[in-house]
Amino acid sequence: MDSLHAIGFYVSSGVSLAGGLGVALLPSRDQRGISVGVLGLGLAGVYLSLSAGLAAIVALVCYLGCAAMFASPQYRRLETVVSGTWRQVGAIAAGALLAILAYSAFRGDFVHASFYGGTFGAANLGRVFFAHDAVATEAVAALVFAALAGAAAVWRARERSR
Amino acid sequence: MNVGIVATFFVAAGLVATGCFAAVWRRDLTAALAAIPLMFAGVGIAFVGVARFAAAGGPQLFGQEFAVILAIAATALVALGLGIAGREASR
Repeated sequence: MDSLHAIGFYVSSGVSLAGGLGVALLPSRDQRGISVGVLGLGLAGVYLSLSAGLAAIVALVCYLGCAAMFASPQYRRLETVVSGTWRQVGAIAAGALLAILAYSAFRGDFVHASFYGGTFGAANLGRVFFAHDAVATEAVAALVFAALAGAAAVWRARERSR
Repeated sequence: MNVGIVATFFVAAGLVATGCFAAVWRRDLTAALAAIPLMFAGVGIAFVGVARFAAAGGPQLFGQEFAVILAIAATALVALGLGIAGREASR
C-alpha cells in the first residue's frame, strides 16, 4: 500500500470516528443525521483505500439513506426508562470493550497475504455475489425486502391512526 | 507511513465501541438506533481489512461481500426501527 492510500486511510478513519462521536454525543436530529452522513463518507473512504471500491459506493448510498431518515422531520422521540446508573455502567462497559478489542488487535498474530484484486473489483465481487453465494444474496434480499415492507406498513398504519 | 491489519482493527474497534457507547448512553431510543449503522460500519471495516491483508488460502472477496451485505442490512434495520419507534411514540 503506497503513501497516498495510507494517507487516505488515516484521514478517512478520522472522519468516520468523528462522525461516530457525533452520532453518540450531538443532541439534535439534524446534527445526528449529518453525523451519520459524515460516518458514511469516512467509511466509503476507508473502503476505497482498502481496494474495496464497490463496497465504498454501496456503503455511501446506504449511509446517506440512513442520514436522511435520521434527519427527517417525521422523526419521533421515544424515551427509555433506563436509570442513569445503568447507563454509566454501559458506558464503562463500552470503554472496556474498546480496550479488549484494541489489545487483541495489537497482540494478535495475523496471517499476511498479498492482495491481487483491483481497486474496484466490481466484476469479481458480482461473480461472488451472483454465482458463488447466490442463495445467500437472495436470502439477504428477501430479508431487506421484508424489513422495508414492514417499515412502510408501520408508517402507513401510523399515518392512518392520526 | 503504512497501513496493516492492526491499524484496520484499531479503527474497527473504535467504531464498534463508539456504537456500543451510543446505544447505552442515549435516553432517546430512536437516537440509540443510530448506533446500529455505527457498529455495522466497524464490523465492515474489520471484514474488508481481513479481505485486503490476511485472506490467505481462499477467495479474497468474501470480506468485501459481507461488508456490502452489512451496509444494506443496516439501512433496512434503521428503516424498520424508525418506523416502529415512530408508531410507538404516536400512541
